[in-house]
Amino acid sequence: MSAQATARKPRIDRNNPLYLAWRRFLKNKPGVVSAIVLAILYLVALFAGFLAPYNLTTQHPDAVYQPPQRVYIIRDGRLVRPFVYQLEKKRDPVTFIASYQEDKTRPTPIRFFVRQGEPYSFFGIKTDLHLFGVSEGYFFPLGTDQFGRDLLSRMLVGSQVSLTVGVIGVIISFAIGILLGGISGYFGGWIDTVIQRTTEVLLSIPRLPILMALSTIIPASWPSTYVYLGIIAVLSFIGWAGLARVVRGQVLAAREVDYVTAARAIGAPNLRIILRHITPNLTSYLIVTATLALPGYIIGESALSFLGLGIKEPMASWGLLLKDAQNFQALNLYPWLLTPGILIFFSVLAYNFFGDALRDAADVRSVD
Amino acid sequence: MWNFVFRRFLVAIPTLLLISVLIFGVIQLQPGGFLENMLDDPRVSRETVETIRKQYGLDQPVWVQYLSWLGGFVRGDFGYSFLNNRPVAGLIWERLGWTVFLALLTILVTWVVAIPLGIYTALRRHGLGATVANLIGYFGLATPDFLVALLLIFAVLSSGGTNVGGLFSPQYIDAPWSWEKFKDMLAHLWIPLIVIGLDGTASIMRQMRANMLDVLTQDYIRTARSKGLAERVVLWKHAVRNAINPLISIAGLTLPNLISSTIIASIVLNLPTIGPFLYQSLLDKDQYVVMALLMLSAVLLMIGNLLADLALAWADPRIRYE
Amino acid sequence: MMTRKALWLLSFMVMGLALAQPKVVSGYENGKPGGTLTMALASAPQTMFYYGAIDSAIQTLANQMFDGLIEYNYKTYQIEPALAASWTITGESKVYTFKLRKGVKWSDGRDLTADDVVFTYTQIVANPEAKGGDAGNFAGVKIEKVDAGTVRFTLPKPAPAFIHYMRLPIMPKHKLVSFSQEGGKKPGDINNAWPTNVDPDEVVGTGPFKLQSYTAGQKVTLVKNPNYWKRDADGTPLPYLDRLEFLIIPDSQAQVAQFLAGNIGQLNISGTDFPTLKQREVQGAPIKVVQFRALFGSPPHLAFNFDDKNPELATLFRKTEFRRAIQSAVNRKRIIDDVYNGLAELPGNGVAPVSEWYYDTTKLLGTYDLGAANAALDKLGLKKGPDGIRLLPSGKPLEFTLTYGSNSSTFAAIATIIQNDLKAIGVKANLQGILAANLLGTGRGKDWDAIILGFGDQPDPELRTPIWKPGGDLYYWHQSTQPTTPNGQAQFNNFLPWEKEIYDLWEKAASTTNQTQRKALYDRWQAIFAREAMVIMIAKAYAVGAVSTKYGNYIYSLGVIPGYNPVTIMYQK
Repeated sequence: MSAQATARKPRIDRNNPLYLAWRRFLKNKPGVVSAIVLAILYLVALFAGFLAPYNLTTQHPDAVYQPPQRVYIIRDGRLVRPFVYQLEKKRDPVTFIASYQEDKTRPTPIRFFVRQGEPYSFFGIKTDLHLFGVSEGYFFPLGTDQFGRDLLSRMLVGSQVSLTVGVIGVIISFAIGILLGGISGYFGGWIDTVIQRTTEVLLSIPRLPILMALSTIIPASWPSTYVYLGIIAVLSFIGWAGLARVVRGQVLAAREVDYVTAARAIGAPNLRIILRHITPNLTSYLIVTATLALPGYIIGESALSFLGLGIKEPMASWGLLLKDAQNFQALNLYPWLLTPGILIFFSVLAYNFFGDALRDAADVRSVD
Repeated sequence: MWNFVFRRFLVAIPTLLLISVLIFGVIQLQPGGFLENMLDDPRVSRETVETIRKQYGLDQPVWVQYLSWLGGFVRGDFGYSFLNNRPVAGLIWERLGWTVFLALLTILVTWVVAIPLGIYTALRRHGLGATVANLIGYFGLATPDFLVALLLIFAVLSSGGTNVGGLFSPQYIDAPWSWEKFKDMLAHLWIPLIVIGLDGTASIMRQMRANMLDVLTQDYIRTARSKGLAERVVLWKHAVRNAINPLISIAGLTLPNLISSTIIASIVLNLPTIGPFLYQSLLDKDQYVVMALLMLSAVLLMIGNLLADLALAWADPRIRYE
Repeated sequence: MMTRKALWLLSFMVMGLALAQPKVVSGYENGKPGGTLTMALASAPQTMFYYGAIDSAIQTLANQMFDGLIEYNYKTYQIEPALAASWTITGESKVYTFKLRKGVKWSDGRDLTADDVVFTYTQIVANPEAKGGDAGNFAGVKIEKVDAGTVRFTLPKPAPAFIHYMRLPIMPKHKLVSFSQEGGKKPGDINNAWPTNVDPDEVVGTGPFKLQSYTAGQKVTLVKNPNYWKRDADGTPLPYLDRLEFLIIPDSQAQVAQFLAGNIGQLNISGTDFPTLKQREVQGAPIKVVQFRALFGSPPHLAFNFDDKNPELATLFRKTEFRRAIQSAVNRKRIIDDVYNGLAELPGNGVAPVSEWYYDTTKLLGTYDLGAANAALDKLGLKKGPDGIRLLPSGKPLEFTLTYGSNSSTFAAIATIIQNDLKAIGVKANLQGILAANLLGTGRGKDWDAIILGFGDQPDPELRTPIWKPGGDLYYWHQSTQPTTPNGQAQFNNFLPWEKEIYDLWEKAASTTNQTQRKALYDRWQAIFAREAMVIMIAKAYAVGAVSTKYGNYIYSLGVIPGYNPVTIMYQK
């Protein structure tokens, strides 16, 4: 990629700090891998409806707690197109444990680009085109849950919630944090005092209890999309204060820099000075902080879901899906329900590596 | 220094006041509550509930309730637990011991493990040990703690163990202290320490590593080396000491976690900390218990910050009390 | 050996005849004394005083530490003598006279007397400010001491279920009088008795166990009460167990973990946890997982708000045809299989199928038939719109919220299944999860359309009057029938015709003392309940308990029902 970039812009200034940072970033292998992982995750979330073989809420009462189906490519010693066997359910008469066995007489070929199942909406276009599917029986690549809902489909669609909670949350809390922190640092005086007190108050309130308290306030009558927004609001309400404080510190320092003093001298409006002259100075720092703040939202959402205070049905999020796995029953008999946890793990990890790499690349010093 | 402490103390008062108003407001907004829940029992009539509401002054306007709470709080009366028919102070006191013990121990273990690991991973950036330590650290950061707890318990159960929660085996909970009881505690303690501490260990380790890497490129380290100082002296006297400073301010922030951040881990692991009590009181809207606990952790946070500032000033001669 | 035992027995019986009337519990294995049983409490007790709080922890503990005048048979749930050795009902079923069991001692050695009983009922139970009291059912009841061993209750009107209220735990006057009005205190001060930090010796009871210690938030330890008044068939004093320990473990999975680790001897579990535990048993773990058809326990139901804020929905929800159509879309078999793991049965209507009061309503429950449901809704004139959702007469889609407890795995699963089936018949239910603790509060408010809730079953329908009698305090699905003032008249003008019928049946049953006639009245009520699908009953879960094989004579118990305490006969092998 770097070769391409250089090829397209052959006369790039090799001392441009952005270019230098880019070079440094590319040297950080975990960072690059994480960036690619994140890009894939977001692409998957974007095309979730297409990639998911089933609808988010479609139940299959005859296939509850079905384990992941194995994909075969060899039949009777010959290479054939990928197929799966249908599973047959049996219930142990004593323990009531449902077990599934492959019905070797019923191979079902996997077909690609199929039009079937319930239509989903993609940027306003209704379509029923799915990447793959089977024409008869079922294909659940990651198994099903208590209602026979396809876990893969739920995870894919759930990623839309889990991956955006953080981004939107960070954007909101950064918007508030930058604005208030900027104002506070730039103007000083009583405005500064008021804002400083407020952030101090917010920072002094224990996080989790207030998170719980706030999320129980979200009215039950709200539809699940509002609940989703409400949870983001709650998470960012708590997140902005720390940032505002840091921004203020940076602004305080930047205020005294020559070009800002100059801008002030020629009578530029205050807001313009904050936004045009001071904030850009902080960009690299902010981007790094944002990246490192994101995983907190993903984990925070899963903690709320654990307590039954997070995303509600019929929406899905990784935290909500993981809630199904939080009992010995699941760990023991339906371990595939843990896969959303693996996704949480990898996305949080990717954000951390990516943020670290960005920080190293941008060479942002700690701001203490 | 005392002047500084005194000034900080004065500033803290209005902040605490604001915090209390905010928390009180949030509690009032909660739906449900113990009075509503009492009605679930067919024995309880509306009138009984109204009598009790009046008895506890919950029929008063919110600001009256707040002011009477504030009046009590200032005089050292933390209020009354409606659910327990007892003053809040005693209820908290009963549960505070283990909470503080667990929290301090966790902080201690966290630091004792994280700082050396941070230094180690900074010095041996690409070694096997560093990679393993980093991986574990990242695992801690990236896995929700309730999941870690559940997986650990499941692992213990599957291997035939019996220490699957709590701090003691049942027979030792109310037994007097003995060597056996102490050993029993040690056998239980590692799970909560991992679950509560993993997160913090990982982040402190990462920061320490980053700080170390930062410091090692600084001019004074180069100067020290070029002066011919022994590598050990350079590392421990100059690098580590400077790298650890920024972490001291973080330490102040961990103090209030004593109360609140262990809620989920305590529920899953059945730990005798104050967290689940706070959670239950919050759900039941036992408002003065919640107020007392949240104010307590706010105060702890401020004390923590103050201690951190003092420690920082002590560790770093460049910093003066403003 | 034999002779010595016989001699000992004989002398004991002679002594007993003169001094005491122990109750002999027979029909169970004779256990051996000694041993400890550890159980789980889902929450820390809020008080050590049964009447000081509505709190399941103290209800469970009080069951071990106190007794009522009567109790229930472990097998048949029939009423049996407890602290009262016998009683008579005279004066047109309005006068109840109880003869106290002779020789019953409090755990501190004092004798139980009629004063204690009168004190308990007049100063505590009938005190409207006692949080865990029952003033409503004792309004106008005269309670008096006849002599040291006799108590008389005189009712204002016949109340056939009154005898059940006699299971409430009797409290020691000598320890509690100082908190009562008799002791010069305000009525509300009774709630301050025996807080959790009370000296354990103060908590004096007649029950099989007495309080030894409470470690805040962690553990309650009870020890055998040597003065207990029950004997087994051999004359061995009960209880067998020396100690009873309750670990406070809020999280159900943590409870299961502790049970599997052997730290808990007995645990009540839900159907969800059954397969794993049963699998362990089959694999040879020293545990036994047993299921019983249960009398107690709360079967969930689906209710519609007859007073919905949306008048169009309210009109629809009041129609029996609509509710019956919805009922045809409730797949009870799937719910029983997938949610309860097969550990549930078809529900009764307000009465548990195992109860003697049960009237077989299974035919009226209807069968799962989406075709029939569709047809019934078509008949109501609810045509399907372009997106498959039916339209109300106004042209708006037939859409409503379905409220459920998001932190209850059972209720959440039921809601999800019902929502899915409703979608298939063109009815759009929007799930609305709230904390289970706030469910009934929400139901009693106005802000809901449909809700999934459960009410506990009791041995006598009469005890559930506030729930099932139209206009009752908990008759929440039709709140416009409820009185506008406390203790006022129901708003009869808002009754539906069948509700009037039910109301009259309950009125009549409340003053009928003949058992056969009462049964007939309640049968009629259950039939109407089912026919009208007043609320749609979903399933009645079995009681599932797990116990270590170390213990004998295990009988499942919910733990919180006063007058039902089979722990007394459990023993450690």
